This record gives sequence, C-alpha cells and structure tokens, in this order.
Amino acid sequence: MPRLLQLLWAQLSGPGMVLKAFFPTCCASADSGLLVGRWVPEQSSAVVLAVVHFPFIPVQVKELLAQVQQASQVGVAVLGTWCHRRQEPEESLGHFLEGLGTLFSHEPWLQLCRERGSKSWNCKATRRQGPTPLAPACEDQVMLIFYDQRKVLLSRLHPPAALPERQAGDATASAGGLAAVFDTVARSEVLFQSDRFDEGPVRLTHWQSEGVEASILVELAKRAAGPVCLLLACLLSLVSAASACRVFRPWPLSFIWSKLSTCEQLRHRLDQLTLVVSAHRAEGPAQLMRKANTLVSVLLDMALGLLLLSWLHRKDRFAHLAEALVPVADRVAEELQHLLQWLMGAPAGLKMNRALDQVLGRFFLYHIHLWISYIHLMSPFIEHILWHLGLSACLGLTVALSILSDIISLLTFHIYCFYVYGARLYSLKIHGLSSLWRLFRGKKWNVLRQRVDSCSYDLDQVWRAGIPPRTGEGCPNWHQAALFIGTLLFTILIFLLPTTALYYLVFTLLRLLVVTVQGLVHLLVDLINSLPLYSLGLRLCRPYRLAAGVKFRVLEHEAGRPLRLLMQINPLPFSHVVRTYRLPSCGCHPKHSWGSLCRKLFFGELIYPWRQRGDKQD
Amino acid sequence: MCAQPVANTKEVRWQKVLYERQPFPDNYVDRRFLEELRKNIYARKYQYWAVVFESSVVIQQLCSVCVFVVIWWYMDEGLLAPQWLFGTGLASSLIGYVLFDFIDGGEGRKKSGRTRWADLKSALVFITFTYGFSPVLKTLTESVSTDTIYAMAVFMLLGHLIFFDYGANAAIVSSTLSLNMAIFASVCLASRLPRSLHAFIMVTFAIQIFALWPMLQKKLKACTPRSYVGVTLLFAFSALGGLLSISAVGAILFALLLISISCLCPFYLIRLQLFKENIHGPWDEAEIKEDLSRFLS
Repeated sequence: MPRLLQLLWAQLSGPGMVLKAFFPTCCASADSGLLVGRWVPEQSSAVVLAVVHFPFIPVQVKELLAQVQQASQVGVAVLGTWCHRRQEPEESLGHFLEGLGTLFSHEPWLQLCRERGSKSWNCKATRRQGPTPLAPACEDQVMLIFYDQRKVLLSRLHPPAALPERQAGDATASAGGLAAVFDTVARSEVLFQSDRFDEGPVRLTHWQSEGVEASILVELAKRAAGPVCLLLACLLSLVSAASACRVFRPWPLSFIWSKLSTCEQLRHRLDQLTLVVSAHRAEGPAQLMRKANTLVSVLLDMALGLLLLSWLHRKDRFAHLAEALVPVADRVAEELQHLLQWLMGAPAGLKMNRALDQVLGRFFLYHIHLWISYIHLMSPFIEHILWHLGLSACLGLTVALSILSDIISLLTFHIYCFYVYGARLYSLKIHGLSSLWRLFRGKKWNVLRQRVDSCSYDLDQVWRAGIPPRTGEGCPNWHQAALFIGTLLFTILIFLLPTTALYYLVFTLLRLLVVTVQGLVHLLVDLINSLPLYSLGLRLCRPYRLAAGVKFRVLEHEAGRPLRLLMQINPLPFSHVVRTYRLPSCGCHPKHSWGSLCRKLFFGELIYPWRQRGDKQD
Repeated sequence: MCAQPVANTKEVRWQKVLYERQPFPDNYVDRRFLEELRKNIYARKYQYWAVVFESSVVIQQLCSVCVFVVIWWYMDEGLLAPQWLFGTGLASSLIGYVLFDFIDGGEGRKKSGRTRWADLKSALVFITFTYGFSPVLKTLTESVSTDTIYAMAVFMLLGHLIFFDYGANAAIVSSTLSLNMAIFASVCLASRLPRSLHAFIMVTFAIQIFALWPMLQKKLKACTPRSYVGVTLLFAFSALGGLLSISAVGAILFALLLISISCLCPFYLIRLQLFKENIHGPWDEAEIKEDLSRFLS
C-alpha cells in the first residue's frame, strides 16, 4: 500500500494537479485561526507551519511573518483559515473567516475546517479567476496530508539515489516535492522558537521543543567543550609538528615508517583527533555527522583499548605472554626445519634434482639457525618490550592490533625471507624458460613491434650459396653460440624447475598464511576505523532522523470529502547508512584482484609488501 | 526519358560478371563453362633414379640418428673410450672443415663474408660452455627414471626427423626446432652416461653429427653428386654395421626401412602419379601469384 501511494504521489506532483495541503498533526486540535505557511507553486502544495489564533491584529501578524521571512529566507505567508468547530456551527464565524480572505490575499485561499471531534474534515481551496476580488471563485480539489512537525524538522532527507526501485522521472519529481517540504520545515525553525505560553501580541500553535534546560550536565559539557578542544588542538599540533620533524625524514627511516602498520595507524588516529577537536564549525550536516562518527569511533576504540590493557595487567599476563612467545617462535622454526628436511629428501615422490635440493635446503637451514640465535639473544628483553608496547593500547584497540600485526611481521621474518628467495629464483627460472622456449622454437621477441617474430638461427644460413647474411657480420656467429647454449640452458632449467617450484610453492603457502592472518587483523582495524557508529546508533534509536523517503497512510477516503493522508518517514536502510557515512580508513593496504594475485603468484612476482617497488620497476 | 523497346532481338549473352544486371538466375552457367576445364597442370613427371637420389637426404638423416644412438650405446656400455671418440670426432671435423672449403674453392665463404676467426670463436664458446655445464648435465636427471629419459629422447629424435629441412617447402619445416630437439635428446641421453667427461663428449658429438654433418652433406650434394652417393652408401653401411653389432633384428629392420624408403617409396610415387587427376577451372579460388609481402611491410 505505501508503495502504491508513493506512485500516486509521484503522479500527482506535477504542476496543475490536485492541491496538496501539508498540515502538522500538532495543530489538529488547535483553536480556530489563520494558517501560516509556505506556498510551493511548482508542486502546487501548501506547507502549513503554524496556526495563528484569534484574536489578533492583522498588522502584527504581518510584521511577525516579515520577521520570520527575513530570518529564515522562506516565503512565509498566510495561506488560509483554520476553523475548529467544537459546538454547533456558527454562521457568523464562517462569514468572518471568508472575510479574512480579502484581508490577507493569497492565491489559492485555503479554508480548512474540522467539525466536532476528529471524524469529519472539510477543506476548500478557492482561487479567484479574475484580477478583481469580486470575480467568481473556483474551487480546486484538495488533498490533506498530515505530517509530524518534529520528525520532519529533525530528519534529514537523503538523496533519491537511495531508492533505486522508483523510476527516474517520478523519483526526481516527487523527491523534489518532498525536498521542498522538508526544506521549508527545516528552515523555518525560527518560527518554532516562540513559546506557546508567551503572552505575545500573536498567539501561535506549532510544535514546540521540550525546552533547552532539560539537562544541566549537557549545558555544562557544551560550555566546557570549547576550551578543551582548543587545548587538545594545541597539543595535537605540537605532536604533528614533532612527527613532521626532519629527523624522521631521511631515507631508511621513512621507508621503515611506511612499512610499519603501527605508524600508519598512529597517523590516522592523529588525523581523526585533529578532525574532532578542530576549531572550525562543521559545515553542513554531513560534516557534522562525520565529526560525530569519528568521535564515537575514537572513544569506543580507546575504551576497548583500555579494557584490553586492564585485562593484560591483571594477573601479570605480560610475563606469561613473553614466556610463551619465545617457545612459539622456537616451535615455528623447528617446524620449518622439519619441513626443509622433508623437502631435502624426496617429498611426495617428486623428481627433484638432488644437488640443487641439497644446496637450497642447506641454505635455508642455515637461515633458520641464524634466526633461532637471534630469538634467543632477544628473549631476556621481550617482556619489557611487550610491557612498553602494551601501554600503547590506551591509544586505542586499533593501535594495539596494528602493533600485533607488526610483531607478527617481525616474528615471521624468516618465512618472508624464504619466500623472497624462492620467488626470485622461481621468477628467474620462469622468465629464462619463457625466452628460451622461444629460442627453442626458432622464434625471437621483436622489441620494436612488441611481438614474437620467427627468426632463423640456421647454422648454414650464411653458408648457403647466393644468400648473403641478413644480419651483418657479427650476428651469425652470435646466433650459433646462442642457439647451442640456449638449448643447453633450456634443458638444464627445465629439469631444475620442479625443485625450485616446489620450494617456491611451500614458502609461498607459508607466506600466504601469514599474510592472511595479518590481513584479518587489518580488516578488524579497518572495521573499527571506518564504521559510522554514531550514524548507526542514530538509525537504531531515532529512525526518523535519517530519512530515505516518505510513505503515506490513508486516513480517510470518501467521496465528496478531501483525501486525508498521514505522511510517515521511511528510515534509511542500515546498509545505506554504512555506505553513506563510512569513515575514510587508512587505505595503506594494497588491494589485489584475485586474477592479478594468481598471475603474480604464477610468475613469481612478490606479493603484498613490496608492491610499490614492483610498480616502479614497471 | 522514355525507354524504347529494344529493337534488336539479338540474344543477350551471359557474362561471368557480378557487376551487371543480367536476365539469368544467379546460379546460371553457360555452355562455355566447362571449356576452361584443365587437368593435371601442375603434375610433374618423375625419373625413378632421380627420386632415389633425392631420397638419400632422408636416408642420411636416419643413418645419423642411428649412428648417434649406436655410439651412445657403446659409451653407456663402456665399450668406447670417450677420449677415442673425441679424437675421432675432432679429426673428422677438421677433415670436414677443410673439405667444406675445398669443394667449391672457397666461393661460399667469400660470399658469406665469414672469417675463420669467427668459426674458431663459435667453436671455442661452444666447447667452453659445454665443458663447464657437463657436471651439471651429469647430475641433471639423476632422480628421473631411465625409462622416462629414453621415452623423451625417442620423442625428441622423432621430432628432429619430422621437422628436419629435407628441402621441401612446407610450413612444418623448422631447422632450428629440429636441431634443438636433437640437442635436447642428446643432453637427455648424455645425462645417463657414467661420468661428466662422457656427457661432454656426447653433446659435442651430437653437435657434429646433427649440425655440422648435414651442412657438409648439402654442399657435397650440390657440388659433387657422385661422391655424395658414395658417401651416403658408405654412411648407411657403417650405420647398419654398427647396429648389427648390437642387435641383428634391429639391423634387419633398419635395412628394410632404408630399402623401402630409397627404393619402394620412389617406385610407389611414380606409380601413383598415373592416378593423379587434378582439375582446374573457373571455379578455383583466386590465386595471388605475385608476392605481396613487399607491399605489406
């Protein structure tokens, strides 16, 4: 049903159709008076904002409207009359209300009537056809739409792109109409500031906030926020100035900074805090929402970090961790040794080249030996290092996770080295084989045309009578030698390839395991960093604040009476909330497509950390 | 423009063109159509002995492969000392080198502009590299089963025979690929030999017999056909003799193969030539006679 009515609305929102009167629900029980609001001629809709009660002095009403118009830049005018009959109809009031039409001239002139209870409503819109006030009036059809003024005022309408199921033309028309309504209500906030109980010259009925003095704590926090932000901003600027210091710029240091995810995370955290405490006022609701999201995400992150820290400090868990870490590293090294010894035998009955196998295996074993000595050298200091690093958890869980990721990187450095050696060797073989395969078939790579040409390496090419050598004097000589040696090398490489490929495969799998673990940690960090928690909370507790659109419910539909609809706000779906308000994360982790990853793995190009260098080589 | 009815009632003649509108159905052909039929315009008359002479290239190559395998077998069994093979190979290569220039009186060398220094350099580079790699070659296929190696060598030698440039103008011919396959086979077989010196000498011998020997043959065939026939017969008999010393059945089969290729196949070719019936006519595809490659490049 709501969908159908949306379509109906879309159909009717062109020019020259049924007149739509938006009427706030809070005014439904107000006393008779004048309707104050804005007329949107493009949508032929009248947005009623408030009711002015009797008695009033017309000049004062006009003055008030002029003030509001100046403050809010909205064309507020008297749209018509409102009559709430509690008793028997009084003829005189009706005439009086009609007479007001001449006082506040407006085209069309709305006459809204509610009769005895809430059951029957009456609505007329008259438009004079001639320029003179005495010309015969004609009546338009009117559709009465009730809206909750508070919700419409507070909600933020999201672009119609969020509603893909509607057709484009209708969507723009109806969304334009809705946007005008929402905009009008939001901008005439000035009008709602006047208090109902004030004894002013003009009495109004409209939605009224519950009062600003609801919580003194909020007020105090608001007052304190300014100086605190200023202080924090000063501190942050000091920190960022220190981090931008030239001492940290030179080559090896900057390279290390760019590789450590902790540094990236700290930089990101600094940016976040700078954004939160910046002295500039947020421009627009999007900016405000972003600030709020960032603040909430930072606070949650820090809370989680502190929780982790307190958990770690209880029962002296740092010592346990440090004690466990060295045996784990030892264990990993031992497992690797076993793996290498297995590879040096005849793994899975594969035809390995024994000599190369032994050479590679011994090389890697020596590497592991070096690694174990290094770990044992480090073991007395590990507890202190861990304790100091653990303190950084008070900067947030994400920082702690980044440190964890870096520790994993450092502890699996030997795996990384093996992987690099294996990949280099393998890629050398693959590239050698691919070019030697061309030579084997008697082809060569033409650099100028970027293609494979056939090329005669014939031994007797130059000896054949009557055919002068095409390639000059030195080349045939070179060709012959290249042909023989190339074929020899091709044979050798093809028989050595399985050995290299097996080592490469095993170490790549190990490396991928480590990268996957690190990737999961980074994913978690990114999740905490980029999740718009404030927006999600808002969506959960105050669904109307983030509007995706509206739906209409039919209140009354009878022949001879105006159609009465209730406008309800459609909340934005959670997925759209996340998509719209996602915070920018570090984005320092390169993203691969699966195809390119497989291609890189096959050709022995290094994946994950050294991507930038690879790009430079290209 | 008023079209008058055509006065002359002369029969409109059908033309074999598509660019004019004619009062015939699309699939109409005229009586003259078959006048252009021609038969066997490209058929050649072969002389029996000429074909036998030409088939000697195939004989030579088969014998080369046979000699190579026989020599490898002797080395593998330890009946042939590598030094002896090296000495013989070196001597025969030198004789062949001298003969190569002697046959045409140094004319081919002058045309190609190739110096003796370049030849020496090629030979030195090759020998140095092969000698350097021979220990690697020795351990290369240790873990691969001997049967696999044999199968691979057989396939490679067959490939060598298939892709060899026998003088035919066909797309499949690639002398580079053929030579490379022969060297691959020789490396495979050499890796089965007991020592690295054996392997080195085996690969060197492969180069001599698969690369240098066909060059000399080609020149011999072009300049002195008679001596070429003698050399071919000698080579074939020596290959047969070598094979006989290993296996009599193999030698008989090889002899039958050689005879069938050199005598029976030419006979059949000439007999079958009688049944040749190629028809040519206007229905043939257009043939581009001129070489257009100069416009394309």
